[in-house]
Amino acid sequence: MNAFKPVLTEHIHQKDCHTLPFYKSVGGYKALEKVLAMQPDAVIQEVKESNLRGRGGAGFSTGVKWGFIPKDSDQPKYLINNADESEPGTFKDRLLMNKTPHQMLEGMIIASYAINCNTAFIYIRGEFYKEYQVLKETLAEAYQANLLGQGILGSDYNLEVVIHRGAGAYICGEETGLIESLEGKRGWPRIKPPFPAIEGYLHCPTVVNNVETLACLPHIINHGADWFKSIGSEKGPGPRLFCVSGTVNNPGVFEEPMGISLKELIFDRAGGIPENKQLKAVFPGGSSSAILTAEEALDVKMDFEDLVEKKSMLGSAGVIVMDETVDMVQACLNIARFYAHESCGQCTPCREGTAWLVKMLTRIVNGQGKPDDIDMLYEITDNIGGRIDFSKGSFGKTICPFGEAVAWPVRSFVEKFEDEFRSYISQVEAVA
Amino acid sequence: MPLLKIDDLEIEVKNGTTVLEAALENGIDIPYYCYHPALEIVGSCRMCLVQVEGMPKLQVSCNTFVGEVPPERKVDGNFDMVVQTQNDLVIQERKNILEFLLLNHPLDCPVCDQAGECYLQDYSFKFGNAHSRFDEDKRVRPNEYLGSQIVINHNRCILCSRCTRFTREISGTSELFVDERGYSSKIAALEDRPLNNLLAGNVADICPVGALLSTDYVHKNRIWNLQKKSSVCQDCSVGCNIDAFYQKRKIFRLNPRENQDVNGYFMCDIGRYGFHRFEDLERVARPLFKSNGIFSEISWDTAIEKISNKFNGAEEKVAGVVSPFHTNETNFMLGRLIKGIIGTFPHIEDEEITYPSGFRISSDRSPNKRGMHDVCPSIVDDLASEINDKEIRVIYILDNEIDKEIDETWNKILTKMDFIVVQAYAMTRLAKSAHLILPGLAPFEREGTITNDQGRVQWLRSVLPNNGESRPDWEILNLLYKTGERFSDINELMKGMGEQFPSYSGMTFFKLGDQGLPLNGNLKT
Repeated sequence: MNAFKPVLTEHIHQKDCHTLPFYKSVGGYKALEKVLAMQPDAVIQEVKESNLRGRGGAGFSTGVKWGFIPKDSDQPKYLINNADESEPGTFKDRLLMNKTPHQMLEGMIIASYAINCNTAFIYIRGEFYKEYQVLKETLAEAYQANLLGQGILGSDYNLEVVIHRGAGAYICGEETGLIESLEGKRGWPRIKPPFPAIEGYLHCPTVVNNVETLACLPHIINHGADWFKSIGSEKGPGPRLFCVSGTVNNPGVFEEPMGISLKELIFDRAGGIPENKQLKAVFPGGSSSAILTAEEALDVKMDFEDLVEKKSMLGSAGVIVMDETVDMVQACLNIARFYAHESCGQCTPCREGTAWLVKMLTRIVNGQGKPDDIDMLYEITDNIGGRIDFSKGSFGKTICPFGEAVAWPVRSFVEKFEDEFRSYISQVEAVA
Repeated sequence: MPLLKIDDLEIEVKNGTTVLEAALENGIDIPYYCYHPALEIVGSCRMCLVQVEGMPKLQVSCNTFVGEVPPERKVDGNFDMVVQTQNDLVIQERKNILEFLLLNHPLDCPVCDQAGECYLQDYSFKFGNAHSRFDEDKRVRPNEYLGSQIVINHNRCILCSRCTRFTREISGTSELFVDERGYSSKIAALEDRPLNNLLAGNVADICPVGALLSTDYVHKNRIWNLQKKSSVCQDCSVGCNIDAFYQKRKIFRLNPRENQDVNGYFMCDIGRYGFHRFEDLERVARPLFKSNGIFSEISWDTAIEKISNKFNGAEEKVAGVVSPFHTNETNFMLGRLIKGIIGTFPHIEDEEITYPSGFRISSDRSPNKRGMHDVCPSIVDDLASEINDKEIRVIYILDNEIDKEIDETWNKILTKMDFIVVQAYAMTRLAKSAHLILPGLAPFEREGTITNDQGRVQWLRSVLPNNGESRPDWEILNLLYKTGERFSDINELMKGMGEQFPSYSGMTFFKLGDQGLPLNGNLKT
C-alpha cells in the first residue's frame, strides 16, 4: 500500500498558500475549468460515484443530496457552505478556510454549477473573525479573476457568493437552523419534511454542504471518482481531517485516509499521552459522539461503519482524548452543561431534559447524589434522545439531531463509567 | 383517495391530510399543544407522537401527511399508511413528554384561570405520573405584562409558541417572540412594542395552558361556574361568532367561536371586551311616561294605548327610525308598522382594519346595517329633511347606541315633535328626550337574526335574561299591530318576513344553527 499523501492539506505549510496565485500555481481551478465544460448531471454523477460522504457530522452521501434538488423547478436554487464549525473538539474547517480558502471556494463553485445555483452563501461561525477576513480577500480575488460573478471563465455560468457571519449559536450549524438564521430569523431548526432540498432558504431548493466536503470536490473532479474511492475505507472513502485534542502531546489536525486506526492517530500522529499516562476514554467524533473506553478505542478504525459498530459515530472526526486523571463525572457534567446551554429550546425533551441532566449531575458532583439518580440518568437521556437501537437506526424524539447529540454521550459516560458515578453517590451515603 | 388505518379505524382521507387532522375528525384523541389549525406547523411540543408503520422513529402526527403510495409500498396490501395512536410505546412517550412539560410547572391549578379548560391538566389527568421524579429546584419567574390586557405567567408556559406564531401570522404585528435560549427561553415583548394590537386577546384563548391571561378575566370566576351560549358579536358588521360565558345576569367572558365563513377562529378586542359597556347602565325596566318633564312608570297596556291613540288617524304623519343595531325581526316589524316615513340615523364610519391573515374589523361598527336595509327597503336617504318636508309630528325610535350624542339638527327636530316614542333598554340621551319610553332588551338579551356585510344571516342568541318588565323588541312592536296582523311568535314572524323578502325565506333558527346561512341560500323552495 502506498504511503498516504495529504490531499486537502498538502500545501498548508507553504508561504502565501491562501492566495489565488499560489493556489493556481498548484493546479487550482483546473477542476472548475473541466466542470464548466461538463453537463451538471455529469458532475452530480461523478460525485455520486466517488461515494463522498458529508464531512459535517451526519455522513450523508453528497451526490445523493444534490440529486434531491428538483430539476424541473424554476425556483432559484441555493448552495450554503456550512462553515459554522462549532462541535467541541473540531477545528478542521477553520484550518481549511485559513490556509486553502480557494480550494473550498472552487468546491463551492463546482457544487453550485452541479445544482444549477446562481447564489451561494458561506455561513461562517461568528467567532471566526480572522477566517472571515481571509474569505473576504479570497472572494475579492475570485471576482477579480472572473472565477465568480457573470460569465465565469468565459462560460455562460453566473455565480454570486455571499458571506454571512453567524452570531454564536451552536444550533445554527444544524442545516435547517442555519437556514432560518440566514433568513434573519431565530436559529430554530425546522421540522422535516420538507427537507431543504425541496424547501430550504426562502422556501427554495437548497443544498447545505460542509467546508471539508466542498474542499474534496476539486480533487474528485481532477482525479476522478475511482481515485477517490481508492483512498481509505470502502463505504466512506477519501481523505479525512482528524482533529485530535485533549490529553495528547501533539494535538492538531491530521489528514489521513478514512479508516485509520484510532490508536495510530492518538499514539503516532498526536504523539501519545503526556507523562505516559493511561488512556481512559475517547470521543471519536466530536462531543456529540458516544465515548469509547480505552479498550474500545484501541481497537477501532476511524470510519463510518466501524464506529457505528462500536455504538458511536465518526461525526465531525473531532477526537477528544481523556487520560486516566480525568474525572468522568465532572467531564460528563461539562458536556451536559454545554448542551443545556446550546439547546435552542424549541422542543420539549431537549429544552427540559438537558437542564434536568445538568441539575442532577451538578447535585451528584456536589456530593448530594442519590442511588436512584443513576437509573434516572438513563431514563432522562433515553427520553431526550430515544433508545438507541443501532440495528434499526436512531430513535430520536426531537425536531433535530441535537437531542441525540446530548443523550448519546451523556448516556455513554454513565454506562461505561457507572462505577465512578456510583462512588460519588456512595461517598454521600458513607457520610450520611 | 389514500386509505389510512388509524388504530382499528379504516378511513379514506384527502391527499395531504395530516394524521392528526384525520384522527381529530374521526374522534380519535391525539393530545397536542403546539398545533393549531390556523397556525404554521412547528411540531415542537412532541406531544402528538404516534407510531407509523415502516418508520423507525415515532412521528409527530401534526406533520405526518397521508398521501397515496404506489401499490408495492402499500401496507398490508391496501393501506397507504397505518398508524398506531394508542399502543404502549406511544402512551409511554406521551407520559415522558408530559413529565418534561411538568418539571417546572407550578401545579397551581387551584388558582389558575385555565383550570377546567386546560390541556395540561386534562392530559396530566390522563397520562401523568402521580409523583414527580424531579428532585431539583424549579425554574421560577415572576409574571409580566406583555401588553395592557395580557399577562404572562412564565412558570406555567410550555413554550408551544402558538402566541408568537399568532402575532406573526394572524395579526402580522410580531410583538411576541421567544427571548433567551434553551431552558431560559421565555415569551417576551419589547418594552417599546407591547402586545397592544386589537387582536391581542386571542393569544389568551389559544394558549393551551394558563400562561397567557387576559387581565379582564383573571381571577374573576371559575369556568365551571359559568354557563356558555353561542352567539354573534354585535360590534361590527363582520359578525364574529362567539361563545358568551355568563353567570346569572353577568357576562364574564366572550370567546371567539370557529366559523370559517366569517371569522375563522378569532375575534377582535373591540368585540371581546365590548360587553362591559352594557354593565352598570341605568336600565329602563318598565314603560315610562313623561309628564311635566318627569318620567313615571305606567303599565304596558296604558303605554300601548297611548301610542295607538297618537297613531290613529295620523298614520301618514308618523316616522319610524329603524336601527342597524337591532335584529332583522325588530326592524322588519317597525318598517311594516309605519305608514309615514322610515329612516335611520346617520351612521359614522370607523376605521376599517384588515390583517395579513384576512381577519377584518369593519369600518361599520354596527352589526346589522345590511339586514336593516334588506327588510326595510323604503328607508329614506335623508331622514331629517323628509321629516321637515312631510311635517311629521310623531316619531317612533328604536334606540341606537348607549353613547349616542344628539346633534343640533336632531335636537331641533325632536323639540318640534308632538310625541316621541323611544324603544330603549337604558336611559340614553335619546330616551330622555322621549315622551314615552318602552323598555326593550339590551344587546346580550336579544334574540333574532342579523345579516353581516357579506350577506350571511346569523342567529343572535339571547345570553342574559330579560330585565324587569322589559320585552323583546319585536314583541313590543307586535303589540302595536291590530289583533289580526300580529305574529304569534318569532318563528311566525320570520316566516312572514321571508314571504315579503324572498332572500330571507325558509330561514329558521334551527336551520341557521351555529354557523348561519348565506342570503339567497339553498333554502328557497
